[in-house]
Amino acid sequence: MAETNKGRSEEEVARAFVNHYYHLFDNDRSSLSTLYNPTSLLTFEGQKIYGVEDISNKLKQLPFDQCRHLISTVDSQPSSMAGGCGGILVFVSGSIQLHGEDRPLRFSQTFHLVPLLQGSFFVQNEMFRLNYG
Amino acid sequence: MDPDAVSKAFVEHYYTTFDSNRAGLVSLYQEGSMLTFEGQKIQGSQNIVAKLTSLPFQQCKHNITTVDCQPSGPAAGMLVFVSGNLQLAGEQHALKFSQMFHLVSNQGNYYVFNDIFRLNYA
Repeated sequence: MAETNKGRSEEEVARAFVNHYYHLFDNDRSSLSTLYNPTSLLTFEGQKIYGVEDISNKLKQLPFDQCRHLISTVDSQPSSMAGGCGGILVFVSGSIQLHGEDRPLRFSQTFHLVPLLQGSFFVQNEMFRLNYG
Repeated sequence: MDPDAVSKAFVEHYYTTFDSNRAGLVSLYQEGSMLTFEGQKIQGSQNIVAKLTSLPFQQCKHNITTVDCQPSGPAAGMLVFVSGNLQLAGEQHALKFSQMFHLVSNQGNYYVFNDIFRLNYA
């Protein structure tokens, strides 16, 4: 499961999620599957992928073994009004250093975290784009 | 209507309005709308448009490179993720940016509930 709320602000949840997500990505990529469920959506460089299994497979099959994300900015906002679903939007920018590559690649990424009944969050929506140029 | 078509139409409308009539953006936000602009948090359509119209440039043109969209959940909201560049009049180089919108439907019309903007520095 992803982060739990436990009375934290949406900003704190977002920060904790970002740390957790990129730590898993860089160290134990197959465990990212714990963050998604069958209704999750990922758009990766324009390619749309549905559901935890296909998303997991996509991330595992990316053409590099080792990588390291360096996060520059994290912005977050609640995705609904007070009393609504309690979702959190997270907007990240940073760079990803691939093992053996000279220069890191810059990227931006959006997450929509939705709470589960027990207080943890899962990734309902995710969109990733490299920033060229 | 197809969500991809809706999001493309929205993006075009948003940036055309921004580039030609920035104050007109007020109709795209509501009371509860939130903007985070380069880390600064602003709430409500009046405050948001005050921020956007006070940005330190008169003329600008957004050129959009990518638009991705996904439905945000059961309430028919849409997440739209944009990247592109922003050319300011008189500046030699365009600024690269990424922006995320969460569009929420109010009786068939979409407005911006969430808006997050970041420049992408090299």
